[in-house]
Amino acid sequence: MSVFSKILPLVVLLLWQGFVFAQSIDTVQIKTVEVIDEKPPEAYKVVELDSVAIHQATSLSELLNNSSPIFVKTYGSGSLASVSFRGTGASHTSVLWNGIVLNSPMNGQVDFSLFPTPFIDNAELNFGASGLVNGTGALGGSVSLNNTTTFNKGFFSTLQQSVGSFNNYISNFKLGYSNQQWFTETQLYLNTNDHNFEYTNIAFKEQPRITQQNAKTKQYGLQQAIFRRFKKSQLGVRFWYFNSDRQLPTNMLVNNDVNTQNETQADESFRGILEWKGFTSKFNYKITTAFLKDKLIYNDSLSNIYSESNTQVIDNKINGTFYLNNQFQIKNIVSIRHEQAKADGFNESHQRFNNHWLFGVSKQFKRLDATLFNRLIMVADKIQPIAPSVGVQYNVLKRNNLKIKANTAINYNYPTFNDLYWAAGGNSDLKPEKSEMAELGLNYTISHQKTIINTELTGFYSHVYDWIIWLPTASSIWSPSNLREVENKGLEYNLKVKTTYQKLNLTFNGNYAYTLSTNLKAKNDYDNSVNKQLIYVPYHQINHTFGAAIKNFYLTYNYNYTGKRFMTTDNNWYLPPNFISNVSLSKTVKLNPQTKLNVGFKINNIFNQDYQAIAWRAMPGRNYLITLTLQFN
Amino acid sequence: MKQLFYTILILLLFSCKKDELGPQCVNCSEEDSNTEVADVLIVNEGNFGWGNGSVSLYKPNAKTIANNVYQQANSVNTLGDVIQSAYQFNGSIYAIANNSNKVEVMNESNFQSIATITGFNSPRYFLPINNSKAYVTDLYSNSIQVVNLTNNTISSSISVGCWTEELLLHNDTVYVCDMTNNNLLIINPSNNTLVDSIKLGVEPNSIIKDNNNKLWIMCGGGMSEDNGKLIKFNPQTRTIEATFVFTNIANSPSKLTINATGDNLYFANTNIYKMNINDTSLPSSAFITSNTNVFYGLGVDPINEEIYVADAIDYVQNGIVFRYSSSGNLIDQFYVGIIPGEFLFIE
Repeated sequence: MSVFSKILPLVVLLLWQGFVFAQSIDTVQIKTVEVIDEKPPEAYKVVELDSVAIHQATSLSELLNNSSPIFVKTYGSGSLASVSFRGTGASHTSVLWNGIVLNSPMNGQVDFSLFPTPFIDNAELNFGASGLVNGTGALGGSVSLNNTTTFNKGFFSTLQQSVGSFNNYISNFKLGYSNQQWFTETQLYLNTNDHNFEYTNIAFKEQPRITQQNAKTKQYGLQQAIFRRFKKSQLGVRFWYFNSDRQLPTNMLVNNDVNTQNETQADESFRGILEWKGFTSKFNYKITTAFLKDKLIYNDSLSNIYSESNTQVIDNKINGTFYLNNQFQIKNIVSIRHEQAKADGFNESHQRFNNHWLFGVSKQFKRLDATLFNRLIMVADKIQPIAPSVGVQYNVLKRNNLKIKANTAINYNYPTFNDLYWAAGGNSDLKPEKSEMAELGLNYTISHQKTIINTELTGFYSHVYDWIIWLPTASSIWSPSNLREVENKGLEYNLKVKTTYQKLNLTFNGNYAYTLSTNLKAKNDYDNSVNKQLIYVPYHQINHTFGAAIKNFYLTYNYNYTGKRFMTTDNNWYLPPNFISNVSLSKTVKLNPQTKLNVGFKINNIFNQDYQAIAWRAMPGRNYLITLTLQFN
Repeated sequence: MKQLFYTILILLLFSCKKDELGPQCVNCSEEDSNTEVADVLIVNEGNFGWGNGSVSLYKPNAKTIANNVYQQANSVNTLGDVIQSAYQFNGSIYAIANNSNKVEVMNESNFQSIATITGFNSPRYFLPINNSKAYVTDLYSNSIQVVNLTNNTISSSISVGCWTEELLLHNDTVYVCDMTNNNLLIINPSNNTLVDSIKLGVEPNSIIKDNNNKLWIMCGGGMSEDNGKLIKFNPQTRTIEATFVFTNIANSPSKLTINATGDNLYFANTNIYKMNINDTSLPSSAFITSNTNVFYGLGVDPINEEIYVADAIDYVQNGIVFRYSSSGNLIDQFYVGIIPGEFLFIE
């Protein structure tokens, strides 16, 4: 209960007057015009990623690595990438696509290399307790990927072609039309890359320059949306199909000279969502039903290993908000989710219900927003009635430019099918992982003439109990247990500056994160991991993007620093820090009032740094990408 | 305002120079790493894919331990990925790096690298047949690789169609554990041909020879597929002379080893057990109890029958080795590398 003893006095102090949902005023103003999605309450830390950054990154993992304080763990360019918030694990990060949790019921994770940025219109990071608003399992936070539907646009289309180093070709085509009632768009995507870059192989004494072999990737996908708007509601469907084929390069340690390595992985995902949302004068609702089907095939023809896994999820949600008045709201979300998986690692197919009920109230006063909610979780036959959160935001100054945010929550992450049923080793007696968390943040905005500065400092704390880890048992079978207990604490700092100097527009967006993530529990008397930093959690992370625009030219400089990461739990081995810089320059030409041509040139890793994000996985040196975008609106 | 902006910009724009690349060790000992007879070499597998396999050198008289001796002796970053086993032969130590698909050959007295034998698929154990030839068993290749020790290359392979594990040479015949089909493979090394295969228990993982020239094979029983079995085999008649069955199907006995005089068997089955070759049943009580430890490696010193057992703790940190006297009293304990799995007693 340490979290609560630390934060509760403050929360109680700020709460005694009542509860508020922070965005209620915005919603009330806009809802008569258009049906909009609600945002999480402002008492929680939510970061919306810059749309320019989304546009410039080629993959979601690159985007998050370059412009957020969360940690991206990547096995190399084009390879598996997972992200983690605040010292938690990859399965503690929820990923939502238009509100639907995409995490695999098998391992609880999402591979971030399988999300092309052109398929996403906006992205939002929900830190800590704000992840609880979207669902369970997000002990660290969640990443929301959303598409927008804009009516009354007429015809619109984007034709984009990129050519880059290592035979990288990316084609993206989007065509759409919308009027008063209808919105439709179709999007096609193709990306091929050989990833045959040169690197210094430090696994060998002579440290030869080696060309990465067997690393080709090919991804293609289709997205289709049709929406119909009515007077006070809208109905629509969106489909996502994505196919990825990749060769899996070996790490640097494997002697490749004689062996022709032949590991491949194929992923295929099909996602469909049917959505109906609308409002009445006192009531805002969104009803969705989604179907998710994922397939993963791993094949090693040399060793005769073929492994296939299939998962299928049906997710139904009824999300309603009642406005008792302009300052008081009641929120109710019922989610019925059915998960199913069939894999070569299981003896049979497994399925379960993973249902939630969220009920919350929220109230806004003159300067104070407060929100309180509880989530009831039902996973298979287990019921967890209490997963609460309480949060407040207080406007310290009359100008509303200094805000204090505080919140605390309890969240649970249920064991995955792999944890429960993997043959052999699966442990059906596992308890859910439990996290008690709290954060306190300060957000300050000042503007002076043509300069706007926004700065946010957040301190966080979380205590995770019953963290599941896989370890060999006495009979040498790897099996999961609730053995680990972890304390995470740290600071996140963000600085945004926008200024204009004559015709020059300058922007700066910088993040710094300090994370202390320590193991609290010893496996036995000889365990040297207690009070040590968890592996692959950097103490320090910095990234910042500097942008300069003049006339039609736009220049960005992105820098990211990932500090020392330990590789062993006794902290005896570590990977040294990485410093990577990327530069881009683009120019936009208006061909006619409706048509824009953008020519972009990007240099990744401009200082040609040799580095490893994960031990012994080769990363590319300096590389280039040219992008031509033709946009018709 | 502007000054602040530019100051921050300048501070953040210029990155520091870095000089480290790849995994770095914080606390790797610089102890004496010249081997002497009676030293104990600990083979640390390291994590799969992480390249942190290593060998540690323990001096029983001085009670000193030197870790990462190969990396230090050769000023290289890694010995390899998953060091499955090591073998001493003709002045060299052969370290089998399973996931690096190679065998690293080093000088037995100072760990200086001599050669790297490459071209394996998933090598497991090494056995010299004569001065110019050795066999290497393999997890995935369905064959045993024949290595030419003169030029350190693979000269041919013996197709066996299975995962081959531990092996031994007796009376000009090679006996190999077949983990896939649960057989004992009998190979004639003069012409590299498979001459016979004998059905054993499920998953034969280790094999040794006693002083009566009988072979003993430990069958782990798989993942609760069958009961574990300790099998006594007569190589002359190619018949099983005795089968000792572990009554609990959840048991996975492994790491069968024997003392130098060839009369006491040792094996791991959660605890460490000791059994005389003339015993008529499996030992009922443990010789060394594991308590909170999970034992991963087991070795018996050929000189004094001291027993070495290893605990890999959480498998992501340096493991610990416990050294016991022949009567089972703890003499010493020391941290080694990551996932200590095998012991090699320098002769």
